[in-house]
Amino acid sequence: MTLYLPIAEMPVSVILFLALGATVGFLSGLFGVGGGFLLTPLLTFLGIPPGVAVATSTSHVVASSVSGAMTQHRRGNVDIKLALVMLAGGIAGSYIGVAFVKVLTARGLFQLTVSLTYVVFLGAVGTLILVEGINAARRARPGGSASTRKPGQHGWIEGLPFKMRFPRSKLYISVVPPIVIGTFVGFISAIMGIGGGFVMIPAMIYLLRVPTGLVIGTSLFQIVFVSAAATVLHAVENKSVDIVLALILIVGGVLGAQLGTMAGEKIRGEHLRVLLGLLILLVAARMAVGLVVKPSDLFSLASVPGAS
Amino acid sequence: MRTLVGAAVVWMLALMGGALAQQRPPESVEADASTRQVAITSSFTGTEILVFGTVENSRQPSPEAGTYDVIVVVEGQAAPAVVREKSRVAGIWINTSSMRFDAVPSYYAIASTRPIDEIAGNALLDAKQIGFDHIHMSPSGSETAEGGAVQTYKQALIRLKEGQGVYVKRDFGVTFIGRSLFRATISLPPNVPVGPLTARVFLFKEGRLLGEYESRVGLRREGIERFIHEFALSQPLAYGIVTVLLAAGAGLAAAFAFRKPA
Repeated sequence: MTLYLPIAEMPVSVILFLALGATVGFLSGLFGVGGGFLLTPLLTFLGIPPGVAVATSTSHVVASSVSGAMTQHRRGNVDIKLALVMLAGGIAGSYIGVAFVKVLTARGLFQLTVSLTYVVFLGAVGTLILVEGINAARRARPGGSASTRKPGQHGWIEGLPFKMRFPRSKLYISVVPPIVIGTFVGFISAIMGIGGGFVMIPAMIYLLRVPTGLVIGTSLFQIVFVSAAATVLHAVENKSVDIVLALILIVGGVLGAQLGTMAGEKIRGEHLRVLLGLLILLVAARMAVGLVVKPSDLFSLASVPGAS
Repeated sequence: MRTLVGAAVVWMLALMGGALAQQRPPESVEADASTRQVAITSSFTGTEILVFGTVENSRQPSPEAGTYDVIVVVEGQAAPAVVREKSRVAGIWINTSSMRFDAVPSYYAIASTRPIDEIAGNALLDAKQIGFDHIHMSPSGSETAEGGAVQTYKQALIRLKEGQGVYVKRDFGVTFIGRSLFRATISLPPNVPVGPLTARVFLFKEGRLLGEYESRVGLRREGIERFIHEFALSQPLAYGIVTVLLAAGAGLAAAFAFRKPA
């Protein structure tokens, strides 16, 4: 069964894209990640124009993180005040990101930028997760909790102005770092079509020193809103959100995610992390190959926006 | 007297000439497309249109005689196009140069009774823009590019469009099925750019253009396809919000349906 996509302007096999959504959903449920980093590249490999792939992926992130965010909120694991401060930065960041996408597309550099950011971020994060997972698996001490670092001194962060109290996290910090982190995550989220949890979570733990119990919930909460904002902005600025494609992927994705979550409970955490690290590195490597290998045709054709 | 005879001769000659002309009236072509309106709906996977026509006053003894040549060209709207060229910068392949063409047919299908370079000379093909190489394409205004570069980019554009399946050529795609009746099927690929099409039919004999005919075929979105596309373009903010609400709703519904029994 094929369906003609109204924005991508091409017919696609519904079964294929349902399966794609389900696979990405399964992996994101399994590893507890958003899955945008898998979805965007896979969509472009299947011939969806990169702009549409990124914009449609962001709507998929909304679907895959909203239920998690609700659950975390119900359990009281969200520092709403901190999330709102980061969200302010996040929305600004995704606005800049969407505008950036527009400029890059006009110059023919968008695909390149997506590939480069994927290689850099996924390469770094994948390596970190892999190394950390291997170390944890080697130690293999079920009782050993996640490495809690000693609260060190962060002279330059403590010295920043505009301090604000975040009672839920028991923090009294400047609003500048959360806003900067939020802006940065919003920016890469709009460019890469991802949620950005893999940048946000380490930043909250190591830079802001948010209590571990609140990190996941707060980051999920703000990811939902940043992705929602990015989706709307892509729709307004780039007219690149394909609602039909989004729905196919989301239906597959939410079902796959539930199965993935069930499967994830049966696999040991450090093994999961090794697998996730490998998967992320695989995507980064595939992107890197695309950059380095000589393309079969040096020429490419770009449509001119607003010409159709 | 002499003048009277002269006048009579002239008159008779004129009569004979008129009779001759009536005996061998000039050939011309009339044609049409099987469909006037192609609808792109959610189930659109490409389609075919039949272009058929007849040679008026055909002197062709049989369909196989090959007295006439017919070329059918179906074109989409002209639109700007950018061709980009990659080169290696610090080990990475990057789009480094580009050329913009102001008006390039978004779709171009050509069918003929035999290869077009056997049918007519380049000057005529150029004038009528028959054949990929004869489509008029010039780079945008201020760009001062040398002829060789323009030709390279133009060839790349044609090659890429052929690769996408939106530039199609069928050298023996027009067949005569009678002394004067001919037909050609033109396939519209699934990714055919949306917009009105122009069908042009040319009749040739021994390299001379005897007649041409033009008709239009509409190609537009219909039904839900049209609704969504117009919604996305005219109300982008509402469209974005609806997408987000649908996404959030689907996520919450799935979580609710799969919730663990308490």
